[in-house]
Amino acid sequence: MSHPAHTVAFRATGVDMFFGTPENRVVALKQADFEARRGELIMLVGPSGCGKTTLLSVIAGTLTPQAGTVEVFGQRLDGLGQEALTTFRRRSLGFVFQSFNLIPTLTVVENVMVPLLIQGRPFDEAHARALAILDKVGLKGREEGRPNALSGGQQQRVAIARALVHEPPLLICDEPTSALDKDTGAQIMQMVRDLSRSPERCVVVVTHDHRIFRFADRIAEMEDGRISRVVDDPKLLDTTHL
Amino acid sequence: MYRLALNMLFGDRAKLAMLLCGLAFSALLMAQQSSVFFGIMSWTYTPMVNIRAQVWVSDPMVEQVNDAKPLRDTDLGRVRSVDGVAWAAPLHTSFVQARMQDGNFKLITLVGIDADTFAGAPAVLSQGRIEDLRLPDTVIVDEWGAALMGRMSVGPDGKPKNTPLQVGDTFEINDIQARIVGICRVKRAFTGGPFVYTTYDRAKGYTLGARRTLSFMLVEPQKGVAPAELCDRIERDTDLKAWTSDTVIWSWGERSLARNTFWWFWTNTGIPFSFGTAVLLGLFVGIAISGQTFYSFVLENLKYFAAIKAMGAGMGVIARMLFVQAFTAGLIGFGLGAGMAQAIGRVMIEKGMPPFVMYPQILWATFALVLGISFVSAVIGIIKVSRVDAASVFRG
Repeated sequence: MSHPAHTVAFRATGVDMFFGTPENRVVALKQADFEARRGELIMLVGPSGCGKTTLLSVIAGTLTPQAGTVEVFGQRLDGLGQEALTTFRRRSLGFVFQSFNLIPTLTVVENVMVPLLIQGRPFDEAHARALAILDKVGLKGREEGRPNALSGGQQQRVAIARALVHEPPLLICDEPTSALDKDTGAQIMQMVRDLSRSPERCVVVVTHDHRIFRFADRIAEMEDGRISRVVDDPKLLDTTHL
Repeated sequence: MYRLALNMLFGDRAKLAMLLCGLAFSALLMAQQSSVFFGIMSWTYTPMVNIRAQVWVSDPMVEQVNDAKPLRDTDLGRVRSVDGVAWAAPLHTSFVQARMQDGNFKLITLVGIDADTFAGAPAVLSQGRIEDLRLPDTVIVDEWGAALMGRMSVGPDGKPKNTPLQVGDTFEINDIQARIVGICRVKRAFTGGPFVYTTYDRAKGYTLGARRTLSFMLVEPQKGVAPAELCDRIERDTDLKAWTSDTVIWSWGERSLARNTFWWFWTNTGIPFSFGTAVLLGLFVGIAISGQTFYSFVLENLKYFAAIKAMGAGMGVIARMLFVQAFTAGLIGFGLGAGMAQAIGRVMIEKGMPPFVMYPQILWATFALVLGISFVSAVIGIIKVSRVDAASVFRG
């Protein structure tokens, strides 16, 4: 099911990942293959402990696999040192976390500025770009407030704004709707889906929330450390064990 | 990122307040205790401040100014004959008991100065004239002594009342009358006894039985002769010990009697150990409180630092953020602590007790130690953050 190279956003091939000592080894990924196309929103689903988070971490370059290759927008990650991986994450990735991870002592706009400031952008430029993207996600007027003063949906919008402010090609969302109610979750996913519609972008979402499966272009199901199948239609999934 | 690092620090006001309290308390303790220590130590060479002369000559065995070993009166002539000496005057210092009119006894520092030149006389007289010392049985008492030796009585409100000695009052030294003709303003001495000035010849009378009464010689160099150079000449020609009157204790050198006195007390008493313990306590309290609070601040923000790491910030950036936070807190804490120490010092100086001398070096040392505390706190935080796996942000 391999796609032409110019259409591939990321590709993980034959990835092995295990933790612990050789005597007490826990296998997290076993010859896992996973691929996504540009302009696609792909979801990664599966029961707890099947290796979703590990695979996501490998693609994000926060974990280095023991075997296999990982390529993200044409850049091979396997073999890169920590510094190069850090640079890769800084330039190429945007993160939306399950618990938002917004810094409570900073204002909304300051939280959104973080990725730009990590890149070394001037403060004023970062501020202007953060304001612009907050406007886009519908948070104009809330810029100077603290994240804790916002609703869950608004906080997730801030997180999305933070993930996108530096225009990364790959957006990684880890359980983005788990802390949100159904309607808010649907709004957030619609926004994420709209953002994925660019040939220079790809969105991968790890989720247990079957209510949002309809927003996916494709859904990859994981089982025992590998992708067991990829479907285009959520109805084809058996969600009883998710 | 550093601006955001500061906003993170200032955003958590409760933690910041705790952090600043620890640092400020530490700075206060270190600066205040050091200043009191140097204040007390500055009293050890008080005679050098109160009795002004460019060169002091003593017995060769003298180690410090409070330990005079009597000289022969003929030594004065020998010193006067040294090339480069403009003049030399005798000085007597001793601790004697003075009996007040109410029968009470007080230990005093008796200072006998040359009646012709008044060399070594107090610089400031708040009452009386120095020339009146030439009158029979006369003394000049310092303000502190006048109050200390004052008359106790019962005031109209029934409370004890102290009436300081005045010009015209009398007391006795070795059963010889001493009539006060002046009140002077001098620095207090380590021994606590008041300074009582009289003439050198009269001091001989007050110290009946003492075979030798010449404690020191006060010497003025001729124009163009440096005090240190004259000291060399006096020592070479007389075998006596000559000292400069330099009271800057920070510089090194063998010639300064004040500096030798300072270091004599430093090495022969438990004062530095006592105050050093208090300063160390301040340092440890600072490290404990600030380190713990900053560590707690880092722990609370750990998942955010992990997120920042995941977003692509290297440990270098995060370490610098933590240093900025720790050093900013250190700077503010130092400012508060040093400011409080200054305020307390002002009150102490006004009251005169305990002595308080805040050298710039004390502030610099306190500043360095507070920054050291901040550095340790930051390093503890950096170690913690460096051990956080960026992948942990995906674990909920």
